[in-house]
Amino acid sequence: MSTAARLRRVERRKRLAVDVRGALNVVGTLTKYLSLATVLPAGVAIGYGETPWPFLTAGAIAGAVGWGLERGTRGDVQIGAREGFLVVALVWIFAAGIAALPYVLAGEAQLDNPVDAYFEGMSGFTTTGGTVLTDNEALSRSLLMWRQLTQWLGGIGIIVLALAVLPRLRVGGRQLLESELPGPEIETLNTRIRDTARRIWVLYVGLTVALAGLLWLYAATGVDDEMNGYDAVAHALTTIPTGGFSTRFRSIEEFGAATQWTLVVFMILAGVNFALLYRAIVRRHGRAVARDEELRVYVAVLAVGALVLGAQLLAEDIAGGEAAVRHAVFQSVSVMTTTGFSSTDYAVWPPLALMTLVGLMFMGASAGSTSGSVKIVRHLLLGKLLRRELDQTVHPEIVLPVRLNRKVVDERTLRAVTAFILLYIGLFIVGASLLALDAARTGLDLSVLEAIAASASMLGNVGPALGFAGPFGSYEPFSDVSTVIMTALMWLGRLEIIPIVVLFTRHYWRNV
Amino acid sequence: MKIFVVGAGQVGATIVQALHDEHDLTVIDVDPTRLEPLAYRFDVSTVEGNGASKNVLAEAGITSTDLLIACTSRDESNIVSAMISKALSPRTTTVVRTTNPEYLEVWHEGKLDVDFIVSSELETANAISRAIAVPAARHTDLFADGQVQLVEFDITEQAATALLHTPLRHARLPNDSKVASIIRGDDTILPGGNDEIRPGDRIVVIGSPNAAQEWGRLVAPGTGKVEDVVIFGAGRSGTAVARALLDQGIGVRIIEASRENARMVSDDLSGARVYHATGLDADFLERERIGDAQVAIFAMRDDMKNHFAASLAKVHGVGFTIAILHETPSAEVFERAGVDITINPRQVTAEEIVRFAHDPRTQQVAMLEGDRFEVLDITTRPGSEYVGLAFKDMPIRGALIGAIVRNGEAIFPHSGDILRAGDRAIIFTESSRVPEVERAL
Repeated sequence: MSTAARLRRVERRKRLAVDVRGALNVVGTLTKYLSLATVLPAGVAIGYGETPWPFLTAGAIAGAVGWGLERGTRGDVQIGAREGFLVVALVWIFAAGIAALPYVLAGEAQLDNPVDAYFEGMSGFTTTGGTVLTDNEALSRSLLMWRQLTQWLGGIGIIVLALAVLPRLRVGGRQLLESELPGPEIETLNTRIRDTARRIWVLYVGLTVALAGLLWLYAATGVDDEMNGYDAVAHALTTIPTGGFSTRFRSIEEFGAATQWTLVVFMILAGVNFALLYRAIVRRHGRAVARDEELRVYVAVLAVGALVLGAQLLAEDIAGGEAAVRHAVFQSVSVMTTTGFSSTDYAVWPPLALMTLVGLMFMGASAGSTSGSVKIVRHLLLGKLLRRELDQTVHPEIVLPVRLNRKVVDERTLRAVTAFILLYIGLFIVGASLLALDAARTGLDLSVLEAIAASASMLGNVGPALGFAGPFGSYEPFSDVSTVIMTALMWLGRLEIIPIVVLFTRHYWRNV
Repeated sequence: MKIFVVGAGQVGATIVQALHDEHDLTVIDVDPTRLEPLAYRFDVSTVEGNGASKNVLAEAGITSTDLLIACTSRDESNIVSAMISKALSPRTTTVVRTTNPEYLEVWHEGKLDVDFIVSSELETANAISRAIAVPAARHTDLFADGQVQLVEFDITEQAATALLHTPLRHARLPNDSKVASIIRGDDTILPGGNDEIRPGDRIVVIGSPNAAQEWGRLVAPGTGKVEDVVIFGAGRSGTAVARALLDQGIGVRIIEASRENARMVSDDLSGARVYHATGLDADFLERERIGDAQVAIFAMRDDMKNHFAASLAKVHGVGFTIAILHETPSAEVFERAGVDITINPRQVTAEEIVRFAHDPRTQQVAMLEGDRFEVLDITTRPGSEYVGLAFKDMPIRGALIGAIVRNGEAIFPHSGDILRAGDRAIIFTESSRVPEVERAL
């Protein structure tokens, strides 16, 4: 063999260890399909005699971008574990863009700043529910409905939708689903990842239809005078994904007690692990589900939160009787499930109540639900980890597995949980500090607690914070820099930080 | 009865020793050096070959065999042997020895075509948990699904005064129990109301498990309920023992030297506290206050390590020690070291298997004092001469009915009660009278 032939055997080093082209190809495909969603608000616009063009134009632009991206990166695509992170991170950036396009194109005065429009789009797809609008009732009906719809699409996750619909993503699908579905581990309902995605999707649609039907019934029977068909659908679309956008300026305060209690029930349901919910509702394994540790802690924390708030409201004489109970339950459920609806202006509540609400922002509901924030199961595992650590301090030789629902949790998952919580707290502190710094720079009147609440609310995908960004307030006063920071926090929070942070590590991109 | 014994190891040899007198035995083993000593000592025929081979079984005459006992040390080989036998000769009853509790589970689910399975680990675990339930007992055994317990005690001066030197008819003895025999030196008394218990006696009591524990308190006042047990070694035996004790609500600590095994057992048993340490480390024993444990069980794989650890545990103050043996001669070494109870899994397994060779109506048999006495569990035939008689009128000699099981419930009969057909009688008898008793009932 000649030297030349031998030398040729050593190929040139590949610079990137990630198939960026393949990832972009998938992003293009998903963007292309996602652009179809604009047809729905266009239909609403036509129905109400409004102009459908902002939506159709936005759809055309998004479709063209997606198609172009897909065409430009054609070829042998192999989506593996690594590419999954990139796909997920990029898809959500594109999705928020698609959500923002109609706002800009419609020439709506409140959203003509692209940074604000993009914030609103990200707040929609990440199911946060924070808004820069100061008068959302001034928006056209189609634009308002588009806002609601973005939360509904974002709640269950674009990838879950894609997995259920697009057969070609079956390869590497688990990876995509894991980095997008909230929680440390996914519980599959079926051996095939696509069937799992499809079942979750069916349950999601079912719950939405049930809530919309119920609210519509209240409107039709006169139980709630304020409710109507449009609002019934609009609020169902943002309750099940624990989103929190409302068509009304004063959120849920404008509706009657029956509507508020109904939303409480559905928010709680939306905060339950969908795999559990599926087993309880469809397979009727109610008893087994009721023994789930995370579910129990979830309900317990909700109860404690509601009790503390209720006691405060009664003691300070802010509300009385049923109203006190209702607002206490509603607000603790709304904040803990990271929905962000408001049944009353809690910004005027006493400090302990506000601290309780900010504390609940760090709880989140169950893993595998549509809620954001840290999630109960991580708190539960961290608690067990700490208890083990204390035990091992006294008994160095003891071997103690951490169990969840009697099953041993592997050490890697525990490390991931610890890492997540540390990153979460770190990002929260960085976010709050940057907001406070920027507020000082621009002379915005932002108290420490307000900065903390805003950062926690954005990272936890809750929605409203305190002060001017409180329940019936708006994020409009923040500067563009702060708005970008908060947009990034929502994005990080929705994808649970780690899939995005790995993109900033050297060994994600390179082998050596 | 014609019986095949596959495997001539310790278990096989013990079985042969117990059954060679009454039955026609064929022993199969691949290793001729194990067969030879058996063929010299006992009147049995031997076949050199693989007991899991169809040809070997067929040539040895499996079709005319009543019972096949597969008791090699390899579980899979035993199961295959039993399944092939079943296929060749459906009328042959098959008994399989296993060391893996998983096979027992599968068999309980009815997914293994084997008539009976005996698990060495489970039998050992049961023997230990019985010993712990009544720590004062020399020996205990359970009958009728655990409803009837037989206990053997050595009586000392420490026994409650209410028990000693009092005619049995006046002594306040626990309800639902009966003194089946008093062994005084070389004499054996099947006691009547005028007999009394004296220090130095060895007594056999049959009664309910609760009564057995009350007896334990009478014989050795001051012994409390066991709540804190330490197990050294988390092999299969140790794990099975731990599981049995945890099921009874007893607190269990396990000490295991291999990190991997420690990890596995702590995953399996959520109630136990598992330590990754050797039982030979005095610092560790001190730090974890192992000496405070009421009972220590030594279940490591090596008799010598168990021996050393047991001595060390004694030094640290553990009061009651139980060792699981691997070699028969170790029993004496352990006893010399002050270990209270030694349990030989192979012996226990062999005893359990021997039960299958008795009268088909006999459900369970236990041997006491070597094999001087046996306890039988016999279902009464309708034609028996004793049916319809009150217990006090029964002319049985050298035997005593300790309990009967009627419609699944254990009854501890008084002298006026009447025996009915279909009753299961738990009978204590001298070994020489077993055929007589079996015939009479």
